[in-house]
Amino acid sequence: MESYYYVNIFETKGLEYLLLMAFLVLLVLLFRYFKAPDSPKPK
Amino acid sequence: MREKPKLSREFARFIKFMISEIKPRPPYFTPFNMITIPIILLGMVILVFRFSKGLGAVTNLSQEFPWGFWIGFDVITGVALAGGAYVITFIVYVMRVEKYHPIANVVVLNGFLAYVFYAGALILDLGRPWNIINPIIGNSFGFNSVMFLVAWHFLMYMAAEFIEFSPVVAEWLGWEKVKKWLSAITLGAVIFGITLSSLHQSGLGALFLMAKAKIHPLWYSEFIPILFFASSIFAGLAMVIMEGTISHRVLKDHIDPDHHASHDEIITGLAKYAAVAVFVYYFFKLLTFLHNKQWTMLDDFWGFWYILEVVGFVLIPGCLFAFGAKYKNVNIIRVGSILAIVGIILNRLNMSIIAFKWDAPVKYYPSWQEIVVTLMIISIEIWAFRWVVSRMPVMRKIGRK
Repeated sequence: MESYYYVNIFETKGLEYLLLMAFLVLLVLLFRYFKAPDSPKPK
Repeated sequence: MREKPKLSREFARFIKFMISEIKPRPPYFTPFNMITIPIILLGMVILVFRFSKGLGAVTNLSQEFPWGFWIGFDVITGVALAGGAYVITFIVYVMRVEKYHPIANVVVLNGFLAYVFYAGALILDLGRPWNIINPIIGNSFGFNSVMFLVAWHFLMYMAAEFIEFSPVVAEWLGWEKVKKWLSAITLGAVIFGITLSSLHQSGLGALFLMAKAKIHPLWYSEFIPILFFASSIFAGLAMVIMEGTISHRVLKDHIDPDHHASHDEIITGLAKYAAVAVFVYYFFKLLTFLHNKQWTMLDDFWGFWYILEVVGFVLIPGCLFAFGAKYKNVNIIRVGSILAIVGIILNRLNMSIIAFKWDAPVKYYPSWQEIVVTLMIISIEIWAFRWVVSRMPVMRKIGRK
């Protein structure tokens, strides 16, 4: 029987889940970046 | 009985009007004309050889490489860059964002012409071009083929875009009643067009699912259709930004003053959409990269080439779009658009030519004739666009000449 490690981030596709969570957080941050009042134009 | 003379009078007026409109208008000796006329003439001569002596006479195509520059650039890349039409019509007609209404007609015209010329370029690449009608008339339909979907979609999408643009043609011809009727069916055509577009943008990607062994693993993924669809959104928007910039300089006499004034605001708004689209595409790209554990492939030439594409021509333009939109800097957005367009060209050429059979001993390089014919197609499309914009009320409101 094949051994399976629940802590292996590759076998559990943990990396993909982490990326998905990061994506959602970053998407919210991107929208907040656009919504925030205009900063002075950089020189 | 009274209808007949009225109809013949209207027909005579129409013919007279068309003759006056078809005539070329000065200035004739512009730099654009002087560059493109020789290209078009040379391209025509090459096409005579292509149709009389076959594909082998003018292209570097072979049994090993049956798809070359005409498919890779004209069709695969051209259709992605024409994605702006479905994105803008969705924003304007479905989401009802009126701010972008002034550019809706010109974007639809661009999309229509792009499909007519770039998808039309398929005919050049078919060994037996007369068979192009087969998927339509039912001579070996080939329901299971992605080509079947793409063929029908291209045809129906061209029809849908023509209907979307037809109120402008009716107005140009002075057919007020017809224009009213055509305007009423525009929304239906838009919804139909968006559905078709999202399906065939991904359908073009699905063509490559059958070539798993031939495409470099860094570019191959089961999610190619989704990647093609997502990338066509920002590719189309980048193209709209660049076309708008060029049109506002070259065709400023044909643009409504109100539209002229709101141009920068429109570009800034489009850059926001483009930034979000790049962000979503980048997520899909990273996800497939991690899912297939491809980090071990990054230490050779193909790895560096891949990094150049996804960082230099996707991530950087995405950041430029976001930064330019935030600080309302149109020049930064324009640089981002150019990089994004180069990135899409690179991505589609990598999929179809450069990283296709990357390990084959003999490589395919396009012949000079293939490049000239591609330039000819682009030149004729720009000529057609200029002719329509300078005659029809594409970028100005009703009643303004």
